[in-house]
Amino acid sequence: MKGLKISKKNLLIIAIVVALFIILGSLIPGFLSIKNLLNIVRQSSIIAIVACGMTMVIIIKGIDLSVTGVLSFCAMVNGLLLLKGWPIPLAMLAGLAVGTLMGLFNGLMVEKLGIPAFITTLVVGNVGGGLALLLNAGKSIGGFPAPYVFMGNGTILGVPVSNYIMILFVVVTSILMSKTRLGVYIYAMGGNETVVKQQGISTATINFFVYGFSGFCIAMAGILLSGQLDTVHPTQGEPYQLDAIAACVIGGVSMLGGEGKVYFALIGALIIGVQRNALNLLGIHPFYQNIFVGIIIIVIVALNIHQKRRTIEHSKIF
Amino acid sequence: MSTTQLLFSEKVRRFVKRNGSVVIFLILAIIASIFVKNFFALNNFLTIIKQAAIPIIACLGITLVLMTGGIDLSLGYTLGLCSITVGLLVKGVGLPIWLSIFITLLVGLLVGFINGILVQVVKVPAFIVTLGTGYIIFGIAQIVSSGSDINRLPANFRAIGVTNIFGLNTTVLISLIICVVMYYLLHHSTFGRSLSAFGFNAKAARMSGIKTERLNISVYMICSFLVAIAAILLTIRVNCAQPTMGGGVYTFEVITGAIIGGASLFGGIGTVIGSVFGVLTIKVLENCINLLNVSYYTYQAFQGIVILLAIIFENVKNRRL
Repeated sequence: MKGLKISKKNLLIIAIVVALFIILGSLIPGFLSIKNLLNIVRQSSIIAIVACGMTMVIIIKGIDLSVTGVLSFCAMVNGLLLLKGWPIPLAMLAGLAVGTLMGLFNGLMVEKLGIPAFITTLVVGNVGGGLALLLNAGKSIGGFPAPYVFMGNGTILGVPVSNYIMILFVVVTSILMSKTRLGVYIYAMGGNETVVKQQGISTATINFFVYGFSGFCIAMAGILLSGQLDTVHPTQGEPYQLDAIAACVIGGVSMLGGEGKVYFALIGALIIGVQRNALNLLGIHPFYQNIFVGIIIIVIVALNIHQKRRTIEHSKIF
Repeated sequence: MSTTQLLFSEKVRRFVKRNGSVVIFLILAIIASIFVKNFFALNNFLTIIKQAAIPIIACLGITLVLMTGGIDLSLGYTLGLCSITVGLLVKGVGLPIWLSIFITLLVGLLVGFINGILVQVVKVPAFIVTLGTGYIIFGIAQIVSSGSDINRLPANFRAIGVTNIFGLNTTVLISLIICVVMYYLLHHSTFGRSLSAFGFNAKAARMSGIKTERLNISVYMICSFLVAIAAILLTIRVNCAQPTMGGGVYTFEVITGAIIGGASLFGGIGTVIGSVFGVLTIKVLENCINLLNVSYYTYQAFQGIVILLAIIFENVKNRRL
């Protein structure tokens, strides 16, 4: 019964995507051109990578509001080191380490002090945002080495390099969530934390891993974004906060925890990417896009919660 | 001898526990007076109070929301929307001032009402609702203003906030009046007690006959109403109505103030005096950073560290098991 429900939902999402493409393709000239489609998937890769971590966080009933700050900060650290002449892998590693550490700190606050995830991640995000501004006195940097920009902008066999990285992230996260014991524990923790504790599973490991991984994903997205644009601006990460959450929510990750698939978050990310691209091509200002995304998030979460509550009411005997 | 000493230490302990932010504020002020040049001056204190007056109004609003166990991430964007609304109505449309202010306050109430309905009736988590409405409000503010600011507001409108009465700025006076009203509301009325009960245990509160739906929605409305007042005063203060006024940074500042003031993230706990001194503490910090001529960006990062310390302190103080 439950499996049927999910597959219906999956079908619905796929149907929406197909319908969206047909409608937009017929409405907007140039939308279906290969160049534009590649552009969309390249831009969506940033959202998708952030959404990989975000999916896990939402599955354990948390949320990561640190995207804006951490993304900018990691990109800034990485960018400044690159300009100082550090080798690319080393600079990237530094950026990734900073993101992971900030994520781990979130995990620490959630696990050890029981602070609501939205507060600790909000705070960490703001610290990150402040540090990103502080590092280079609020100025942008740019002009990175060619191989680095290739990572963001280049193509291999006609497909943007960013998308190979995106696919790597999605596949690894998917395998982790569906094939490993840790994945099972993560779903279990979202479903019922008390039971997980009673089974003797350490919630600390799960919290640290999930928030740390989310930080890692955000850092990677930041680095990739700086490669795509060949610039780092201290407030670059701003749009990705809402977009990543929207991608997860559209992809059917439940805010009530315990439910969600990474590859559907990827589809969610693509939908957001398509939406932004289409509205841009139609000449609609980004202001409207934010309103649109905001409404989508609230409506979908509300529907999801409503449906869940009805299921619970029905399953009650008394 | 020893008993009186014990009692004294017990008294100190209780005072610190109840008024943590007052103590933090005093310690910070003393340290700043010793180490920061030009800090200890009447003029500087007046500046700090002037700077704190407006965030205090918004902070009292968010204190109520935090007491319910919720949060309002749309606060800063509501500020921007109300700012541009009042600016447009006063200068662009040319409505009478009282009517413009009235409409702006209504806009505030409406935003709060929508947030409250979504949280209480539709049962979406507060941080998701307000994150979403925040972006929506920001978009609306930008569209309404077509992205530009409104400068040089009429003098009789500005008079509301910049006149001096008994040597005190009207903005400070308004803030003071609001503090007194909120103090009464929170600590000496049924509303305050119900709110506290609701924050600690919503189910128990409902069972003991408190109309929790109405209570929760009204809290969001009061919060946005206070933010609208803050928006009008801030617009007057900077003499410019901006859709980008406030924003995420402002939300964060106000939440920091409330949390330093001892408002619990789990609901139920919050005081007016605590929140007032919480904001004053941040403003002293900001003032020191200005006086020391350190980059303003330090402030944002610093603020985050202060809020973290406050949270950890709070958590150690009343550890929930």
